Amino acid sequence: MMRRFFASLLAGGLLAGVGAHAQDTLAPLRFQSDGVFGSIDLAAAQRGFAVYQGVCASCHGMKALHYRDLEALGLTPEQVAGIAAGVKLADGHAATPNSRFKQPPLVSRGGAVPPDLSSIVAQRSGGTHYIYDFLTGFGPAPAGVTLLTGHSYNGAFPGGQVAMPAVLHDNAVAYADGTKATTAQEAADVAEFLTWSADPNLSTRHAVGVRAVIFFAFLVIVAVLTKRRIWRERG
Amino acid sequence: MRVEAKQGWLASRVPGFTCVRDMLCESRSPGAPWLATLPTLLAAMLVLLLASGVVLAPFYDPRHAYAALQTIMRDVPGGWLVLSYHQIGASLAFALLYLHLFRILLVRGYRAPAEFGWMLWVKLLVVLLLAGWMGFVLNGGVGGHSSLFNAVNAAMLLPGIPGAVAMWVFGGASGGATLARLLVFHALLALCAAWIILMAFAADKKARPVLQGPGVPFWPIYAAQYFAALSVLALVFAVLLGFVPHWGQGTQNTIPAATAVIPAAISYPWYLTPAAGLAGAFPGVAGHICAMILAAALLYALPWLDRSRGARHGRVYMALTWLLGVDVLMLGLVTAFPMGGVLPKLLGLWFYFHFLVLTPLVTMMEAA
Repeated sequence: MMRRFFASLLAGGLLAGVGAHAQDTLAPLRFQSDGVFGSIDLAAAQRGFAVYQGVCASCHGMKALHYRDLEALGLTPEQVAGIAAGVKLADGHAATPNSRFKQPPLVSRGGAVPPDLSSIVAQRSGGTHYIYDFLTGFGPAPAGVTLLTGHSYNGAFPGGQVAMPAVLHDNAVAYADGTKATTAQEAADVAEFLTWSADPNLSTRHAVGVRAVIFFAFLVIVAVLTKRRIWRERG
Repeated sequence: MRVEAKQGWLASRVPGFTCVRDMLCESRSPGAPWLATLPTLLAAMLVLLLASGVVLAPFYDPRHAYAALQTIMRDVPGGWLVLSYHQIGASLAFALLYLHLFRILLVRGYRAPAEFGWMLWVKLLVVLLLAGWMGFVLNGGVGGHSSLFNAVNAAMLLPGIPGAVAMWVFGGASGGATLARLLVFHALLALCAAWIILMAFAADKKARPVLQGPGVPFWPIYAAQYFAALSVLALVFAVLLGFVPHWGQGTQNTIPAATAVIPAAISYPWYLTPAAGLAGAFPGVAGHICAMILAAALLYALPWLDRSRGARHGRVYMALTWLLGVDVLMLGLVTAFPMGGVLPKLLGLWFYFHFLVLTPLVTMMEAA
């Protein structure tokens, strides 16, 4: 009886998971990593890495990550070795899977230093959604807003103007899995990638959490009933 | 050797062993409430903190604190889990200690002959607050760093022997070398906490009234209660660990301290906020330090500030105690979410007013 109950519960969970992939996750915006039961969408995170590597990495470092860490996104060791081999480090050598992500040369845009992105989702309130809003928030400045030199208007950024220009545009990268690389898709994918990099154990943590909570919930029921029975009979 | 013979052999050589055995095995008075398990749950959390701390310490590098934590979370197998045990263990240890202290206040369990036990629980609070603050600083984030910066600046202002001791602890301007020192004191205070809680258990046991009648055995009556209480704690722990691992830890420590970022207001872990609020009740650095010392001294002196001399509990003082609980809770909230105005100061001052004026006055009137 109990086993059947859990089997149906699990099956329901799996179906819901499969269903989520079929939906359009951009309108309304939804990330698989959202919420307390969220997990990293590995396909999106892989695409997000492509966006990072192709666009963001020229200014933003991710010094907490090694190339080997990408295996957690479902890339094979050969693919990771290929990615690393394609990166030329500052000392002229090619990177290896054990190298840390290449640090870009320090560029200062009018005094603003591009932040390291390793944990950016944890460091900004709004997390994943803020990253998406920021990357899609560039636009012409509204009337009455005077931009500082070298700054761009961005409605999602506190203060409205930021030293970073709008870097994402349609087909800024070519996705290996055939997904159409719209600006919004690129922003969502890189947001999912950065969510993973800020908390690489998010999926495991939630999976362990669900099991532990179910186990301890039953243990609490059994232990409290046992205590009451013992106290009634012996106390 | 049979079990009893072994125990006899040990007991005749190690006096502490009989003490622990008696604590577990002797008959107790029946019908202890659920809340009486709080000290045991707290002890369990301290054991978890010690164990996870020992696992974490070798991976920690005080000169690259932020990077060391990133390595523990990302590259050390299972490191993220052990780090979470330590962080959530700290949260729950404070929750249990605050609850236990409040319960003692409510049942007025600090009066003779239990005053020595109460003083030990207050000592445990002071030691855990210091250790918790050091843990917050050891994260190597912006929040901890600027709190350390303030503390070191305050220490440099202290004159005479207190100043010399403070400089011995911090070593000078805050940096990697200071964190290396704090790591030692963090571990030392953790061991002190373990020792104090053992003493508190022993003192509380001595203060219990002599058992009338046969009593009930530990096994299975109280074993069942402790097991149920522990499993409730484990459930709460699992919920925090799985789904809100950073709840109440302060948001600023996600940003490395090396960058020149000074937060407008430090976001402390929730368990430090009431203390930070109390410190802010008096102006100036010297005021903050005096406020902290006074708060601890007042709690410590409570058995003598209470003038009821064992009389029955009065309703007014009971209401005032609840009010104090709300006051401390609110004080934590307004420190966590700064709002300005006079409210934070008033909430802080109420704490001192409660212990210095209301406690002696009301308990004396109610006992009369």
